[in-house]
Amino acid sequence: MGVPAFFRWLSRKYPSIIVHCVEEKGKECNGVRIPVDTTKPNPNEVEFDNLYLDMNGIIHPCTHPEDKPAPKNEDEMMVAIFEYIDRLFNIVRPRRVLYMAIDGVAPRAKMNQQRSRRFRASKEGVELVEEKSRVREEVIQKGGYLPPEEIKERFDSNCITPGTEFMDNLAQCLRYYVAERLTNDPGWKNIVVFLSDASVPGEGEHKIMDFIRRQRAQPNHDPNTHHCLCGADADLIMLGLATHEPNFTIIREEFKPNKPRPCGLCGQTGHEIKACQGMPREKQGQHDEFANTMPAAEQEFIFIRLCVLREYLARELTMASLPFPFDFERSVDDWVFMCFFVGNDFLPHLPSLEIREGAIDRLVKIYKDVVHKTGGYLTHNGYVNLERVEMIMQAVGVAEDNIFKKRKEDQENFNRRNKEKRKRMKAEQQGPAYLTTGQFAPHALGRRDRPEAVQNARHQACDMRMQSNMNAAQSLKAMMKNGGNSSAGPSDGDSRGVKRKADDSDSEPEPEDNVRLWEEGWKQRYYKNKFDVDATDEDFRRKVVQSYVEGLCWVLRYYYQGCASWKWYFPFHYAPFASDFKDIKDMFSDFEKNTKPFKPLEQLMGVFPAASGNFLPPTWRNLMSSPDSPIIDFYPDDFAIDLNGKKYAWQGVALLPFVDERRLRAALADVYPDLTPEEKRRNSLGSDVLFLGKSHPLFDFIHELYRTESNEGTEIPAELCHGIQGRLNLDDDPILPDNTVRSPVPMLRDVSQNTAIGVKFKDPPYPDGFVFKAVLLPGAKIPSKVLKPEDWVRGNGQPWRPQLGFNPNRQQAHLDQSGFRALGHNLNRSQHSGGQYSNTPPPSSYNQGSYRPSHSGGHQSFQHSRQNSLMGAPPSFHQPQFPSQQQQYRGGGHGWDRAMQTQQSAYQQNWNRGGGSGPGGYQQQQQQQQQQQHYDHRRDDWHDRRDNRGQHHQGYSSGRGYPHPPPSRRYNWN
Amino acid sequence: MSSLDVQDFIQQNRAVAEQVETYRGYWESDKHWEPRREFILRNLNDFEDSQLDHLLSLSMVWANNVFLGCRYSTELLEKVKEMAEGIVVEDAPVFKTRDEIVKKQQGR
Repeated sequence: MGVPAFFRWLSRKYPSIIVHCVEEKGKECNGVRIPVDTTKPNPNEVEFDNLYLDMNGIIHPCTHPEDKPAPKNEDEMMVAIFEYIDRLFNIVRPRRVLYMAIDGVAPRAKMNQQRSRRFRASKEGVELVEEKSRVREEVIQKGGYLPPEEIKERFDSNCITPGTEFMDNLAQCLRYYVAERLTNDPGWKNIVVFLSDASVPGEGEHKIMDFIRRQRAQPNHDPNTHHCLCGADADLIMLGLATHEPNFTIIREEFKPNKPRPCGLCGQTGHEIKACQGMPREKQGQHDEFANTMPAAEQEFIFIRLCVLREYLARELTMASLPFPFDFERSVDDWVFMCFFVGNDFLPHLPSLEIREGAIDRLVKIYKDVVHKTGGYLTHNGYVNLERVEMIMQAVGVAEDNIFKKRKEDQENFNRRNKEKRKRMKAEQQGPAYLTTGQFAPHALGRRDRPEAVQNARHQACDMRMQSNMNAAQSLKAMMKNGGNSSAGPSDGDSRGVKRKADDSDSEPEPEDNVRLWEEGWKQRYYKNKFDVDATDEDFRRKVVQSYVEGLCWVLRYYYQGCASWKWYFPFHYAPFASDFKDIKDMFSDFEKNTKPFKPLEQLMGVFPAASGNFLPPTWRNLMSSPDSPIIDFYPDDFAIDLNGKKYAWQGVALLPFVDERRLRAALADVYPDLTPEEKRRNSLGSDVLFLGKSHPLFDFIHELYRTESNEGTEIPAELCHGIQGRLNLDDDPILPDNTVRSPVPMLRDVSQNTAIGVKFKDPPYPDGFVFKAVLLPGAKIPSKVLKPEDWVRGNGQPWRPQLGFNPNRQQAHLDQSGFRALGHNLNRSQHSGGQYSNTPPPSSYNQGSYRPSHSGGHQSFQHSRQNSLMGAPPSFHQPQFPSQQQQYRGGGHGWDRAMQTQQSAYQQNWNRGGGSGPGGYQQQQQQQQQQQHYDHRRDDWHDRRDNRGQHHQGYSSGRGYPHPPPSRRYNWN
Repeated sequence: MSSLDVQDFIQQNRAVAEQVETYRGYWESDKHWEPRREFILRNLNDFEDSQLDHLLSLSMVWANNVFLGCRYSTELLEKVKEMAEGIVVEDAPVFKTRDEIVKKQQGR
């Protein structure tokens, strides 16, 4: 759903739904990568059955990443995609199914959004190139340095649309990838892989939902399958809830706001392209050996546990004394439905409902108030009860007036606070008007160089006086030279202009707002401004409301039953007000039946601007640009953007004309004969494909199908594949065992000993009018509760221990005797090392230098062996490598915990500084000499700032002689 | 052809008028549809039946430009403006195109 704020809101309100992923990293030995063995138990202490990948969420960041240099060519992109999937596979370790779904042709309802995104993307791409070359020229003229422009074709992200050559190549590459992994990776040995590429109609996540829905409606489905769905879209959460599967987890990249982005020109962080100065890059490491490592840590992943969200929702939605029996599953469906009011990909959101203003809380409150009157739930299995929805809408409508007024107030307050803050910041930056100089200059406290005794004070004072006089005289001269521009003070005319401008940008120009929702008459103004109709035009308003009502029905049906109509769409750019939803009961009956999706190339014609015409055959492309084309009106060169209260162009509403399907099809009929066989193939409907390796129980069955060339569809025998059902058809160009699978990527090897097999797969069919039930299945076990029971009282006997991961019975970490000894030893040493630093908490800070492991490696000769094993050796808590142990250390009730965590974070830091390879990795992969280098360099680096370093070293060797501290001291520092 | 003439024409050519009425977009208000209908009716005679879609397309180019703020190539815009000569649109909305907004924001 196009609402990034939704996830933020959700994770703040329901924090326990998030669990950080534990990821075991592959190691490297002498330059050889050792892959992680994914057959081992999942380090997250949970086992997943099925992993679903919404591939578009992977393709986009891998092809045009925002936080690192873009891949040079398509081959590198493919490899990046493979690596990304490998990473996810390693974290999730599915045991039964891997389902990869690439967006195919989407329903018409999505086309408006796709059009608007692609028209914008095309323009943004051109502008970026222009800005780059403009700034590049400027910088070079000023004598700045910029790395030479790389020769690579600009990647037009618009090619990530079904029907393009790129998507076709991607499908090929993924087939190769799957065959390769099934053949060679033991972790893939027993899983079934489904690949639904762009030639299969439907959005990726909805193809996945279709698969789940159709599996769980057949009797062989395992009701306790643990699903894991990968993707960052907030609507995956809705979709997951809509399945009513008790074990459903979503995995996504951790959301980190304001991540530094490298400048597009010089690749350094800290400024945008337009502020690029072409400054030389700072050396990374003494000999610039870290130059090619990313400064930022690799993006980490988080799990979102929907079963925990369900617990939260149960608390929030459960209502006592209802006139009808309370059914939690039904109330979840209603909750999902109400979230659609706030935003979804298919409808503009209602003007009064902003997620940032707590719209969902407001809706839930209204829902609970009104439900007594409605006499039942709003939805049932994805069908909407409009009469009840109207009651909700009317209740929102009553508040609408106040919402708008409050919004204005909040905005004004926000602006005022911001202004004051800027003023304060400015004042802080300026510093005092006059500073003493020379030996009277202010000194920071606590510096090493002590202030010396004052000498010749009178002379110095005289100097200072003279200096300020001279300054004043100089500025006076300058002023007179500049033609008595006296009011500007001691500066020339130029800077005056600059100053004025800076002042202006301070008070950010408010975006123009003609609607003024907070003032009387807002409804009239809204309709006049947004729809260009008069308030008296009741009919038109009804039309908008009716379309919106249809839209709500369509969206809910889409989530619960699949696409009801490929043709339906919302034909306006704006939503009506909640208070306009009057007498909506009879506004909707049903959708047109048996509608068909567009063909891929047809859809390309529907969503691309003329500037992306290169993805289409010449005569098709011509229709986008020729003035005589019968569909030229679909392709404006420029279009209006209504900022709609927002600040930037990309936030506003793009006012693009809607596509007339009839005219589009008619125009294309003339150019269809021009398609080459290759283009015809790309334009045709494809099929899902199922792959598996030779040790899978279903393997022989499929192999037999190919041997007997059985050409009619065959059902999967449920017992061979964890109860998964579906119809198999022979693939025309199949992947077969013992047939070499050619690598489409030059830098990867062919699979010569292929053992994988592939076959077309079709979801189980259901009769027309079949309704998928939105209920828990019989036999489904609800996972144990995670949240603290509401009736839990402190001191009520049972202690409460929060659950941090998936495992409720996670082993707590304990130190054995030697561990405590080691810890005490550490403490003791620094306490006795004396001097002003003795009260620095030692274990955490001590480890901060990233030289630690190399230290133990390179300088073993003068090290005590026990210390060596204590400090250097155990990579077990070097975060990424042995995550299960690291996890164990978290979460216990000991004070020890904190030490471990700080230590971890210290390690984390090192890890970042070291440029991605963990400190443990150093030890293994690098030559001792290099280590020595790093170490020396680091030490220099750290010396100035932390010159207790040396003292520690002393303490280190001398500390050995101390006796072990008494046990009671263990927690002293805590 | 003034708007009165349009009414007359519709009175006299019921069949054509009904045909043209099917070209109305669902989203078009009376205020937007009536001028576009006039555009179509005015130019109907210059287009053969097989070119009807082209005429509809041009009418949309014109309407999109006037009512939605879309820009097309100068050549095309000039052509449709010529075809629309004499059609009176009162109180047409004012828009800022994307290019204008971006330019202004860059200027800051």
